[in-house]
Amino acid sequence: MKESVVIIGGGIAGMETAASLLELGYSPILVEQSDHLGGHVASWYRLFPDMTPASEVVASLKSRLDGVTVFLETGIQFINRLRDGYNVMLSNGVSIVAKAVVMATGFKLFEAAKKEEYGYGIYDRVITNRDLEKWFSGIPDERIPSAPWNIGFVHCVGSRDVKAGNTQCSKVCCMTAIKQAIEMKEKFPDAEVYCFYMDLRLFGKKYEDFYISAQKDYGIHFLRGRVSEVSETIDGRLLVKAEDTLSGRPVKINMDLLVLMSGMLCNPAAASIASMVKAGADDSGFLRSRDNVTGVVESERKGLFFAGACTGAKTVPETIAEARSAALSVHNYLRRPR
Amino acid sequence: MRERIASGFDPFVLPFLVGMAFVLLYCFFGALRVLWQLPREDRRRFLLSLFIPATAWKNVKDIFLNCLLHVKLWKRNPVLGYMHSSIAFGWFMLIVLGHLEVYLFVPSRLHLFYYPIFFNYFVAGADMSLQGAFLFFLMDLFLLVVLSGITLAIIKRIRSDIFGMRRTTRASLVDTVGMYALWSIFPLRLLAEGFTAGISGGSFLIKPLNWLLEVVFGTEFLQNGANMLPTWWAYSIALFVFMVVLPFSRYMHIPAEMMLIPMRNAGLRIRHPRRGFALMEVYSCPGCGVCIDACPMSVKKGNLKDCTVYLNRQIRRGNEKRIEEISDKCLLCGKCTEVCQVGVEGPALRIAQRSRKEYGLSPDYAAVDVGRLSAAVADSPEVLYFAGCMTQLTPSISRSVCSVLDKAGVKYRWMDRTEGLCCGRPMLQAGRFAQAKEMVRRNTAIIKSSGAKVLLLSCPICYKMFKEHYKLEGIEVVHHSVYFDRLRTTGKITLTKGDLCYAYHDPCELGRGCKVYDEPRNLVGTAAYIVEAGVSREASICCGGSLGSISLSFEAREAMTRNALDNLCKGHPDAIATACPLCLSTFSRYSEIPVRDIAEVVDASCQG
Repeated sequence: MKESVVIIGGGIAGMETAASLLELGYSPILVEQSDHLGGHVASWYRLFPDMTPASEVVASLKSRLDGVTVFLETGIQFINRLRDGYNVMLSNGVSIVAKAVVMATGFKLFEAAKKEEYGYGIYDRVITNRDLEKWFSGIPDERIPSAPWNIGFVHCVGSRDVKAGNTQCSKVCCMTAIKQAIEMKEKFPDAEVYCFYMDLRLFGKKYEDFYISAQKDYGIHFLRGRVSEVSETIDGRLLVKAEDTLSGRPVKINMDLLVLMSGMLCNPAAASIASMVKAGADDSGFLRSRDNVTGVVESERKGLFFAGACTGAKTVPETIAEARSAALSVHNYLRRPR
Repeated sequence: MRERIASGFDPFVLPFLVGMAFVLLYCFFGALRVLWQLPREDRRRFLLSLFIPATAWKNVKDIFLNCLLHVKLWKRNPVLGYMHSSIAFGWFMLIVLGHLEVYLFVPSRLHLFYYPIFFNYFVAGADMSLQGAFLFFLMDLFLLVVLSGITLAIIKRIRSDIFGMRRTTRASLVDTVGMYALWSIFPLRLLAEGFTAGISGGSFLIKPLNWLLEVVFGTEFLQNGANMLPTWWAYSIALFVFMVVLPFSRYMHIPAEMMLIPMRNAGLRIRHPRRGFALMEVYSCPGCGVCIDACPMSVKKGNLKDCTVYLNRQIRRGNEKRIEEISDKCLLCGKCTEVCQVGVEGPALRIAQRSRKEYGLSPDYAAVDVGRLSAAVADSPEVLYFAGCMTQLTPSISRSVCSVLDKAGVKYRWMDRTEGLCCGRPMLQAGRFAQAKEMVRRNTAIIKSSGAKVLLLSCPICYKMFKEHYKLEGIEVVHHSVYFDRLRTTGKITLTKGDLCYAYHDPCELGRGCKVYDEPRNLVGTAAYIVEAGVSREASICCGGSLGSISLSFEAREAMTRNALDNLCKGHPDAIATACPLCLSTFSRYSEIPVRDIAEVVDASCQG
């Protein structure tokens, strides 16, 4: 009989882990809390750097799941550590005994309303990166005006911000902001687009090209400095106050739309599941790997593995690569004679 | 009644006399020094105030009620109140009655300092008259009172929690010596008088003790005058030790407070952290340590040595490094002053200390265009609304304030809607008075040019500043909680009672700072249900977000915020209401239940 492996979380990390384990000859059981697979990526529009449609990525992952047991709308009731493996009790009453469990619980988007000075949830013209992706994929959003003059992107909302309770860099938002800024400029060629950044972290392949193109080909303005506050003008527009630290001057710009680049936090469900099997979390809230250099996908507990953003912010390709790595680690672990 | 010692002297009184002379001289020169350090106008004011009958009477009354009877402490903690007043008032009465005895029975000895203190040693058969018996009865009674206080003090040292104090000060060496000396004075007096009671006479306390001693030592032993001397020596030496360490120990508060009270009644304020009036406050600190429990920073045993009692101690020791550290760290919430029996102004001491700092760079406000800012508020209607920096960062508050004003039909102008100048309080709290003054000057010009009659504020930090440091004749400075309550009582707005149950948090600057406690509660009570927090009003716990601290890290404040939240949630409210934008954003960060400003609460349940 094929060995069962429980994978918690049906986002791209969970799907790729399940598909890879299936190909390695195991019987993966994929548990997802929501009613669909694909996680955050399923609600996105296009992915940098090649503007790949997110739906294609999710669809191709889904196509490889034939033979995987998938439980949708199912949570984890509890997990017990056994002498050699785990007993996982699902909310639908199913109990699974497996030698290996992979946590692919992903991230949670920082609640932008917590940075009240930016006015999310208070002013009509303030949205987040997620809202914008949804709108790109065709879901109407009345906060987005039909002909905006000025559009602003605020980087690092709830990332690298001790007051917001998250000192970590969320890694992908710099690039996402540039991608979305370009997409907005394509939709509204007459609008001026501004990015307010602390510093730009464009570490990946082609990212720098994107940034240069955004300035040269699209005329997007990059202002180095944090936004201090946002207020609403009498005509319903936004007045954004920031500091341009390169010229050393305070700036005030009227905006018709402000997009907040909300950062990544660890999914709070992950910590509670991990604590049931006494796996730890870092100060940042993300789950603690056995080793941050050689053992990122392994936990400190035997038979418990991690894949994707549950151990820290990651891009889509990194997540997929890590999911494959997790599958291979599970395979090696199960093959090892005990 | 007769005198037993013809010379009226015995060498054992010498330790007492030396100690007494020392402490009197020390206090005399100390008082002169403080007077010398006062700025000239303060000194004049103080000395003149002593001759104003009303102030003089108030001085006497305050000294009697606070230094002797400890009335404030009684109200706060009756057991501690009894303990302190029994020692202070009991001892005072022993001295007064001692003098009365000398005056009545041996007036020729009245000029001898020590006679009233050691009266029993020098006389025989003093209880033979009705007068004498009555006085001896009173003496025994007050000695018993003092002894009961000492007993409580000893119990308190061992188990302070019985007295409702979780933490007390760690006594320094001098304090410990002083404390043991003080504890031993009265039992030794009892013993000494017990030995002598067979000759001098006595009442219900020392007479039976004398009989007891007779049983133990035998009648012959007791009748030999030389045998009672060691106890009188011990009593005198205990007094000597106490008086010699007094100026260097916390017991200095006994004489210092007697001078602090008249100075405060004269209206003196702290101008320098180590001189004059400040020094008086520092020396008046009894080191009791109630400020340790009160300090919001002391949560989870953190920052225990940074509360006011230790600031006072370090100032007395001249430990510059620690003084600066303690002064910078404080949140300036004012709770230590609120609980302090002597009223030592911890925050004012710290601000004065901060003002001594030297900065390489000072901001320049010359570029602020008062003319343009004034033009923006010209011809303003009756109400001028100043949201302040903190409210700009919490737009839900300003939005609700404007909404309520609109519903009430109040005409207003928003002074700092697009730009404005800081009220100056953060600079003032940092001790940078010149910079604060600059802002006050400019804001005053802008506000006066507007023609408004009411300056409405949303932030208690600004509110306190405008109320205390601006001269805006003819313009009423009011916080929105008070203004909205007025709109409610005058029928301009009507509030419908909702289902939610709120706990109201008193912001430091609005509550302890400006004594606004009832108006916000009236509003919440009308718009919703209200449940009091564990401690509230004057005892309210700082949210931890205060601008007052210039060195506390963000992480270090988390425990304080969580502690304040725990206190607010004691009555299991559905939500928290407060009236300060800074408290709001600080609490929102960690609260599990919603946090709302009073303006939001009012707006949600208000019809125009």
